[in-house]
Amino acid sequence: MATEKIKFPFNLSVLILFGLILLSLQLMSSATQESSELSAMYSWLLLVNALGSVVLLILVGANIYTLIQHTKRREAGSRLTTRMVSLFVVLALAPAVIVFYFSMQFLHQGIDSWFNVEIDRAMEDALELSQASLDQRMRWHLKQTQQLTEKLEDSSESLVTLEIENLREQSGASEMTLFSRQGRIIASSSINPGDILPSLPDEHIWLQLRQNAEYVAVAPIHEEELMIRVIVTVKAQEPQYLQALYPVPVRIADLADSVEFAFVRYQEMNFLRDSLKMSFSLALSLVLFMSLLAAIWVAFISIRNIIAPVKELVKGTQAVASGHYDQQLPVIAQDDLGFLVKSFNDMTHRIAVARDETRQAGFEVENQRAYLETILANLTAGVISFDELYKIRTANQAAYRIFHIHVNQFIGRTLLELIESYSELAEPLKSIQRLLEQADDIWQQRIAFLGPNGRQELLCRGTPLFSQEGQRVGAVVVFDDVTDLIQAQKNAAWGEVARRLAHEIKNPLTPIQLSAERLQHKLSDKLEPADAGILQRSTRTIIQQVEAMKEMVDDFSEYAKPSKKQTVDIDLSSLVQEVLALYALKSGVKFKADYEAGFLIINGDPVSIRQVLHNLIKNALEAIDAHGLIEITLHKVQKNNTDFIEIALYDNGPGIKDEQIEKIFEPYVTTKAKGTGLGLAIVKKIIEEHGGAIWIDTNRKVGAGFIIQLPASNSKQL
Amino acid sequence: MLPFSGYTGEFAAEVKRAEITLQGDIYVLSADIVYRLSDKAKEALQSGVPLFWDIQVRLLQHRDVLWNKMLVDTAIRYRIQYHALLNMYRVRNEVDGEVYNFSTLPAALDLMSTISDFPLIEETELASENQYLGALRVSFDREALPLPLRPVAYIDPQWYLSSDWTLWPLKK
Repeated sequence: MATEKIKFPFNLSVLILFGLILLSLQLMSSATQESSELSAMYSWLLLVNALGSVVLLILVGANIYTLIQHTKRREAGSRLTTRMVSLFVVLALAPAVIVFYFSMQFLHQGIDSWFNVEIDRAMEDALELSQASLDQRMRWHLKQTQQLTEKLEDSSESLVTLEIENLREQSGASEMTLFSRQGRIIASSSINPGDILPSLPDEHIWLQLRQNAEYVAVAPIHEEELMIRVIVTVKAQEPQYLQALYPVPVRIADLADSVEFAFVRYQEMNFLRDSLKMSFSLALSLVLFMSLLAAIWVAFISIRNIIAPVKELVKGTQAVASGHYDQQLPVIAQDDLGFLVKSFNDMTHRIAVARDETRQAGFEVENQRAYLETILANLTAGVISFDELYKIRTANQAAYRIFHIHVNQFIGRTLLELIESYSELAEPLKSIQRLLEQADDIWQQRIAFLGPNGRQELLCRGTPLFSQEGQRVGAVVVFDDVTDLIQAQKNAAWGEVARRLAHEIKNPLTPIQLSAERLQHKLSDKLEPADAGILQRSTRTIIQQVEAMKEMVDDFSEYAKPSKKQTVDIDLSSLVQEVLALYALKSGVKFKADYEAGFLIINGDPVSIRQVLHNLIKNALEAIDAHGLIEITLHKVQKNNTDFIEIALYDNGPGIKDEQIEKIFEPYVTTKAKGTGLGLAIVKKIIEEHGGAIWIDTNRKVGAGFIIQLPASNSKQL
Repeated sequence: MLPFSGYTGEFAAEVKRAEITLQGDIYVLSADIVYRLSDKAKEALQSGVPLFWDIQVRLLQHRDVLWNKMLVDTAIRYRIQYHALLNMYRVRNEVDGEVYNFSTLPAALDLMSTISDFPLIEETELASENQYLGALRVSFDREALPLPLRPVAYIDPQWYLSSDWTLWPLKK
């Protein structure tokens, strides 16, 4: 820093300009000297300087205007510039004006002091003295010439010619001429024999001569010399005029000339006094005006140069304030301001680096979060996090899927608020809420409820979250839909029961039946008719019950064996029509079928599906007691991006009681007096083995309604 | 071709008459000029300030397409000064150096007013088919004034003593 060169705020062009102004002013000042050669250029110099002033004035004016505009727009550095310029102008103007004022005073007083009454009078007296001296000489020469004329009176013209030569020499005149009254030269004599033609009086002199009969005057000959011209009348027969030219002695002429020169000079100066004052004042004013304007203009340039880094700093600070940390300012000067700018650049650079690092860290955190979210979203288990007020903060896709609630209506609400919109979820949501509020540690609970797709069973695990200070900040609940798992377990158990029954019970039934028939056959003839009757009734009962048991066991084995044996594409609409055709003859029952247009095809075992339909229709017929309406609709639905064919079967019978709805698909659950209670269980098993679902339409208020959804076949043709 | 006319006020000189005539084989100029000195000018003269006038004379050949061609451009310069000692006005023709003394100002101005038989150009130099113009102007030399008076002389109408250009066709 210390070794670096300090740059002055003035550049060469400004110095040259100042030089030109000074030169111009100096030239003008020199021109005011009368003797100077520049005197002839005075007017031009004055004009040039005035034009220079005007140019400077325009420059300063433009600068002031720009500054005002900048200040109005509140541009960076404008106010500081205004203050500095104002300060400079005041500082420069004050002494300049004081000096100007006193200079003017001195100037005016100085010029006035050249003139005073005494000198004035002395000058006039000197001139008068010169004139008096010449006057006296003139009178003397007049008298002398008049005396000479006496000698010429009554002389003949021939004598006069000789006489005049003597008279001229006698009188000391340089030339003597005798004119006739008409102005004709009669005789002439000159001190200089070369002068052939004498000096002739002009008309003006003749006029005066005729009036006064004599004439005397001093007249300049050539430039410097003076001579006295005397003309007097010669009394003769015919009046004649004698002209004598007397030279004024050189000494006297010089003195008179000197006096006249001084007098004229003084008079001229006196006359020019005001002009002189004005002229000097003008020059002085011009010098002051130009110097001031130049100084102000240079001040503008210099201050602008000084302010430039400050301006940049202000702009830079504004940029940093608005978040642009990449701002790097140009280092204009190598002074303290330059150091400040450098420091600012370092600072913004460091801020930018820090900002980049923070941003990078933020990105990483965000990536981690997104990664976790992706994992959470793709979990099959539902995950919901709560804040300390039990409002839902986050929830994954599985949670929405399990609860069948739309994403938008989940976040930011409490579970209790959700109940208002989803009353069917009241039971599980209330349970979870209660557990959240009560639990201080990890908890686990199985919650069963009736969802829109039938009975659902959730396995919930909750973990309250605590801050480092031990405050409760929320909780996380993870839950799995274990409905299918439990159902599978139940099905497996029932399958096992059925297989055991078939194996353990069906085998002894045949020997029991055969034994009973043998008893009947062997003993009926040997017994009394009354006893024989008892035997026959008993054996018939045994055989009937065994038959019933066999049927039951068959049903169980049917239930236990897999239903999906041979799969083909089945057109459900034609299948339903076929099945319905078998029941169409039943009197008192009205069938109403509604099929959606298009292919309603599933891939499955036609025998099993037919059994499903038979079972359901049989159930319905039994429910309506062979009088009423059975309604079947078939249409395509889309669920989780998969096409399903939905079969809905409704009757207008007494319906299903609420307490039975949960368990109606389990074996040995029936509302009927007869039957094994396996019908719906088998239906459910077949449907589930075909990848479908069956549930009771709880929204249906009249009679019972079953809804079956089976995955639609991918192939569009049979 | 001619300089634009300056401001002419009440003190401006005026060319009353100007004509170019053939004398022998030379065209000569005759003119009458009236000088009207302002009080300021008279005061300056009385104070010993010499005043200068240039009587500018031009002879131009008129051309239709191009600008006029200048054949003669000459001037008669007079200086008039008051001599306090002898109480007379001295007029000097600056061109030929002739000096004239007058006891009154009108007499002195009278000398400067009349131009008679001022030779301009030989007859042979003018072609009969061309048209010619004579131009005359009296110009007061402000720059010959003492220095302090000069700026004032450009501003004060009392110092606007120059005449306008007077143009007239030459009769052959």
